[in-house]
Amino acid sequence: MAFISIRSLTKSYTKGKTSVTPLENLSLDVPQGEFLALMGPSGSGKTTLLNLIAGIDTPSSGQLEINGRNIADLSQRQLTQWRATHVGYIFQLYHLVPVLSAYENIELPLLLGKLTKAERRMKIQAALDLVDLSDRAHHRPAELSGGQEQRVAIARAIVHHPELLVADEPTGDLDRDSADSILTLLQQLATEHGKTIVMVTHDPKAAQAAHRTLHLEKGQLINNPRQ
Amino acid sequence: MKLLTLAFKNLTRHRLRSLLTILGVAAGMFLYTAVQTMQSSLAKATEANATDTTLVVYRENRFCPSTSRLPEHYLATIKKIRGVKEVIPIQIAVNNCGASLDVITFRGVPAETLMSYNPNIEIISGSYKDFTNRSDAALVGKNFAQRRNLSPGDKFEAVGVNVQVAGIIQSDSPQDNNVAYVHLPFLQQASRIGLGVVTQFNVRVQSSDLLKSVAAEIDQTFQADQQPTHTRPEKAFFAETAKQMIELIGFTHWLGLGAVLAVLGLVANAVLLIVRGRVKETAILQTLGFSRQAIGIIVLMEGILLGALGGLSGILGAYLFFHFRAITIGNEGLTLSLAPEPAIIFSGISVAVLLGMLASIYPAWKATSRPLIHSLSS
Repeated sequence: MAFISIRSLTKSYTKGKTSVTPLENLSLDVPQGEFLALMGPSGSGKTTLLNLIAGIDTPSSGQLEINGRNIADLSQRQLTQWRATHVGYIFQLYHLVPVLSAYENIELPLLLGKLTKAERRMKIQAALDLVDLSDRAHHRPAELSGGQEQRVAIARAIVHHPELLVADEPTGDLDRDSADSILTLLQQLATEHGKTIVMVTHDPKAAQAAHRTLHLEKGQLINNPRQ
Repeated sequence: MKLLTLAFKNLTRHRLRSLLTILGVAAGMFLYTAVQTMQSSLAKATEANATDTTLVVYRENRFCPSTSRLPEHYLATIKKIRGVKEVIPIQIAVNNCGASLDVITFRGVPAETLMSYNPNIEIISGSYKDFTNRSDAALVGKNFAQRRNLSPGDKFEAVGVNVQVAGIIQSDSPQDNNVAYVHLPFLQQASRIGLGVVTQFNVRVQSSDLLKSVAAEIDQTFQADQQPTHTRPEKAFFAETAKQMIELIGFTHWLGLGAVLAVLGLVANAVLLIVRGRVKETAILQTLGFSRQAIGIIVLMEGILLGALGGLSGILGAYLFFHFRAITIGNEGLTLSLAPEPAIIFSGISVAVLLGMLASIYPAWKATSRPLIHSLSS
């Protein structure tokens, strides 16, 4: 069974008096541990698909199962709880809280649970080790380079051990070297830690790091055998 | 606790804005505490309670000490009335009968009766013996002494009366802390009222249920006399005599209300600005799994922290101000000492916290009501 199973997924909304359908009747399977890249021109629906998979947005119709659970049926409150447990989100511009240190930013998803301080510390340390930033734990975002900030953002995304990572152009704001190191880290998370990763990118080199690349155009996958 | 830490760190993001808000709240809560202190001090001076046993005998239809003149020989007659425990004749001289912040009050009393009539008086410096030994000696209330920077041995002159400080006194009665006690014959002569004339008699009755009957009997006794009397419980006397001061203080509750509304508006504006500047970040937190409730709690905590920090500063400032300035309002020879009590401090802090919370409700709702997907793309 696929870790992500999407069937006849449609998302439409009204903008002013116009009806917009960024995704239409889309079907897709992603096995567990796959690193999938989504490419396509602006407005092709790739970020909409990413947000639906991450449980940030809800589909207009169709089925969206993640690890056997149809998240299309969940209420906003249930989706929030689901995201807190099962999803790690990596943003293009990192979006770290500027007044918190790297350690405190990584701690954010853990504040929602009932872990003790010592348990949280262990998990944060493990995440920091994984992204190789233990020596920058008490630095604030302004004291870190872009690549380091993105590593902190990745540590924040994985600290609560989600099965699914979604990344919206994670290398879009980085130089080549930093981008390569982030992509290597994502590959490692998929292959060594079994994380299923869905990444939106405009960068073909970034897409090459993924196990599979799919192209979207006008809300349709154009080279997906399932469609 | 974890969210509280986050809320506190959020406030440090715009330090100047947070500091200015806290200063504004502090100013508002200073004013609120000052008004509450005045209201509470007035209530304490004018609201009767079951333990009150003191009557004040004044000249009928007179309100200023300089116009109330009663023969000193009434003392013997009052003492004989059933239910009377103790009587003290008092001559009062004041520099100003109107409402004033700098009232000087001399109370001329028989030296031998002062301590037995008022055993709560404690001499904190100087000596009672020095007072009894010297006819122009004065026992000065501690607030009076603090305001005038007086200590034992000093001489001072006011209202045309020259005295030497024999001791500084304190008492649980605020009036005692704000006057200068001198010898009755000395004040009668120094103020040119003449021997044998006093301003009032303070009468202590055996129990509070006798206040009414004893007062009625005193007034009836002197009804046909040349100087008829009007006798009232001490707090009722205060309430009726110091009307200017009471009206003035009564008005200040509007200032207190204004201060509360100003604090509410200030915190609401500050928190709303915080929320508007963090739309995207709020969405990021929601993406990480923070519920709307958790986001709302963080915003509420920020408002509560602004209210509490500003409130604490303002209330502490007001407490220190009243403590060190020993402010007293006088009217018709009566004095009202303004001293904040622990209850006012606690209620002030509670009000500040409550205002912070109330002011954050709308911003908290604004922060959580916007759809996540719209906030993320903003």
